[in-house]
Amino acid sequence: MSAASPPIARISSRRRRTDQAARALLGAGTVVAVIPLVLVLYYLLKKGLPAWSIDFFTTDPTGKFFGDPGGIKSALLGTIEIVGLATLIAGPIGIGVAIYLTEYGRDSRFASAVRYFIDVMTGVPSIVFGLFIYITLVVTKVGGSGFAGWKGAIALALLALPIVTRSAEVVLELVPDSLREAALALGAPRWRVIMRVVLPAAAPGILTGVLLAVARAAGETAPLLFTATIVKASTFDLQAPMNSLPAQIFADVGQAQDRLVERAWGAALALVMLILIFTVLSRLLAGRSRLR
Amino acid sequence: MSSKPIDSMPLLRTSTVIPPAHKEMSDPKPKPRRAGRQVELDDVHAFYGATEAVRGVNLDFPANEVTAIIGPSGCGKSTLVRCVNRMHEEIAGARVEGRVLLDGFDVYAAEADPVAVRAAIGMVFQKPNPFPTMSVYENVAAGLKLTGRRGRDLNGRVEKALKGASLWDEVKDRLSKPGAALSGGQQQRLCIARAIAVEPEVILMDEPCSALDPQATLRIEELIDELKDSYTIAIVTHNMQQAARVADRTAFMLSGELVEVAPTEKIFTNPSDKRTEDYVTGRFG
Amino acid sequence: MAVGDTRKTFHTELSQLEEEALTTIDLTVTALDQAVEAVLNRDEELAVMVLNNDDRIDGRYLDVHQGVLSLLARQSPVASDLRLVAAILHTIMHIERIGDLCVNIAKLVPLMGEAPEGSTSILAKIEAAALQARDQVKQAQTAFRERSLELAVDLVHQDDAIDKLNREIFNDALEIGADAEAREWAAMSMLIARYLERIGDHTVDIGEQIAFVISGEFREFTDASRP
Repeated sequence: MSAASPPIARISSRRRRTDQAARALLGAGTVVAVIPLVLVLYYLLKKGLPAWSIDFFTTDPTGKFFGDPGGIKSALLGTIEIVGLATLIAGPIGIGVAIYLTEYGRDSRFASAVRYFIDVMTGVPSIVFGLFIYITLVVTKVGGSGFAGWKGAIALALLALPIVTRSAEVVLELVPDSLREAALALGAPRWRVIMRVVLPAAAPGILTGVLLAVARAAGETAPLLFTATIVKASTFDLQAPMNSLPAQIFADVGQAQDRLVERAWGAALALVMLILIFTVLSRLLAGRSRLR
Repeated sequence: MSSKPIDSMPLLRTSTVIPPAHKEMSDPKPKPRRAGRQVELDDVHAFYGATEAVRGVNLDFPANEVTAIIGPSGCGKSTLVRCVNRMHEEIAGARVEGRVLLDGFDVYAAEADPVAVRAAIGMVFQKPNPFPTMSVYENVAAGLKLTGRRGRDLNGRVEKALKGASLWDEVKDRLSKPGAALSGGQQQRLCIARAIAVEPEVILMDEPCSALDPQATLRIEELIDELKDSYTIAIVTHNMQQAARVADRTAFMLSGELVEVAPTEKIFTNPSDKRTEDYVTGRFG
Repeated sequence: MAVGDTRKTFHTELSQLEEEALTTIDLTVTALDQAVEAVLNRDEELAVMVLNNDDRIDGRYLDVHQGVLSLLARQSPVASDLRLVAAILHTIMHIERIGDLCVNIAKLVPLMGEAPEGSTSILAKIEAAALQARDQVKQAQTAFRERSLELAVDLVHQDDAIDKLNREIFNDALEIGADAEAREWAAMSMLIARYLERIGDHTVDIGEQIAFVISGEFREFTDASRP
C-alpha cells in the first residue's frame, strides 16, 4: 500500500529555515541590547563596591581635598528627604488629576486639553524644570533662602507629576465600568463610588505608577543643581540647601583625586540600588493587583 | 333532537370565549409580604446625543408583579429600563424626556435626587459584577455603606439579604472569602443580595441570566418568583422562554417603540399585534 | 421590519404535520364511502375492508400525536404556531373517531338481514345523510387547509341537514311495523343514522378548531345544553 499523504500539510523546509533565521536575528538583537546593560551593571559593581563601607554611609563628605574625603551620608539623606517630599507633592496631585480625567471629565474638551499638556510634560527635559524653579523660586528667594531642599522637591515633583498622572489614568481606566455602574445603581453618590470602589480596585496599580515615577525622579541631577544645589553637611532643614546623590556624583566625578572618583562610583551604585528597591517593590505590588 | 355529547370539560358549556381553566382552579394570588410600589412610564423618550433610542413609551410595572420586556437587539429595552433608575443620564450626551412615576412621584422631577432614586430602584446587571476588592459580606454590606445608611445590626441585615437571595446556605461559612471567588450563578445572586440589602421598592433586571448556565438560570427564575412578593420587578430579556416562564406581564418593543403589552399568556398564545406575533413565532428576520 | 423566517426548519415541520393530519381525512372519506356502500349493497367483503383499513387511520393518529409531542418538546411553539399544534392534535383525534364510526357502521353490515318492506325511504335517507357527512368532512379539510373562517362556521349550518335526516330516519324506523326481523333491521338503521350524525358533529368540532387557530379564541359553535 502506498504511503497516504497526511491530512495536514507538513511544514515546508523553506518555512523552517525562515523561522530559524528570524529566531537567530531576534536572539542576536536581544543580546546586543542587553550587553550595554550588563556592562553598566558590571562597571557599577566593580568600581562602586570597593567604595562601600560603614563609614561610607555614615559620614558626610568633608570637602577636603587631602585627607579623608568622607562618605555620602548627607547625599543619601538628602535624596531621601527631597524625593520623599516630591512624592508627597506629586502623588496626591497626580492621582487627583487622573481621577478628574477618568471620572469627571472624560469627554470634555478641557479634559482633552489637560491630557495633552500632561503628555507634553512627560517629554520636557528635567533641566527645564530645574531652570523654571530656579527662576521662579530660587532667584526670587521665595521663602527666605535661595537654594533650598523643598524647591528641589518641587522641581522633582513637576518631573514626576505627569508620570504619576498618566499611569494612574491608565489604571483607573482599566477598572471596569461595570463596577462603577453597580455602585451607582445602588444609590451611591459619585465621590463615594470613586473613594470606596474605584480607588481600592485601582490602588495597587496606582501605587506602582507612583513608585515608578519616584524612581525616575530620584535619579535626576539637573533640576537639583539649580534648586537644592550641593552642600556637604547633612541637614533636615528643607529650607536650606541640601545635598543629594546625583549632585554629589556630579561633584565628585570630575575631581582629580581617585578616592573622590571612587566615591562617585560608590554613590552611583547606591543610587541604582535605591532605584532598584523601588522598582522591585512596585513589581511586587503590581503582582498583587487584582485587575490583571 | 341532536344528541350532541356533553364534553368532558365542564367549562366548555357556554358559547363565550373560554377563559383558561387553570387560572380559576389555582390558588388566589397570595398577599404580598411587602406591598411594592407601582411604576408608570409616561411618554418616555431617551436619546444618545441626537439619536432617539426610546420613542414615547407608556408602560406600567404593576406592584408586586414581574413585567418582562422583550424585543430584538437594539430595540431600546435596556435603554428604557435604565431610564427608570436614572442611569441612562450617566452616559455622556444622553438625556431623557418624559416622566417616570413611582407611586405617583416623578423621579425626574427637579427636586428629585438621582442618588436617592437609585437607592429606591435597584438594578441587577447582565454580567455579575461583585466588587472584586471586597468579600462576600462586604459586598452585601457595600450597598448600605455606599448609601451612607449603615445603621444597627449590619450582620443581621446582611444575613437577611443573603437569605432573600437564596444564597445564605451556600456562603454562610465563607462570608469573608472574596466575592469574585463564587460561581457565576452565585455571583449573580450575590449581586441580587447586594441590591436588596438597601431595601429598594423596585428591582430592575437587565438580562440577568444571559451569562449563566441553565441550572443557575432556573434558580434565579425561582428566586424572582419569590422576590415579587416583596418587590416590583421589571426584567429585560432576549430569551422569550424566560419571559414566558417568569413574567406576569410581557411588553414587546421594536425600534424604540412599545408595540404591545399584555398578560404573558396572551402574548404567547394570541398576541393582538402582527409584529408581536411575527417576533414570538420567529417569522421575523 | 426585516422579513424572513428564522425558524424555517420548525415551520416546515409544522406544515408537514398539518398535511399529514389533513390527508388522513382522505382515508376517512374512503372509509365512509365504502362503509355506506357496504350497507346499501349488503357487501360483507367491503365491510371487512373498512375494518382492516382502519388500522391505517389509527397509525396516522399515533404518528401525528407523536409529532405533536415532539414539536412541543423540541421547538417551544408559541402564539399562532402553538394554536395550530393544539388544533392539529384535536383534529387528528376527531378524524380518528370518524374512522371508528365508519368501522361501527361496517360492523353492522353482516348483522343486518334483508331490507324489509317500507325500508326504501330509510335507505335513501341513509344515503343522503352519508353524502352530506362526506361533504362536511371534505369541507372541514378544505377549511383547515385554506384557513377559511366562513367554511368552518358554515359547517354548523351544514350539520343541520344531517340532524334533520337523523330525526326522520328515527321516526321512519319507529313505523316499520310489528315484524321482529323488520324491527331489528330498523333499530340497526337507527344506529347507522346515529353514527352518521356523530360524524357530522365531529366535523363541526374540527370547524371550531379551525376558528380557534384563526381567531385565537375558542368558541363552541353549538351547545348540547341549548335546544
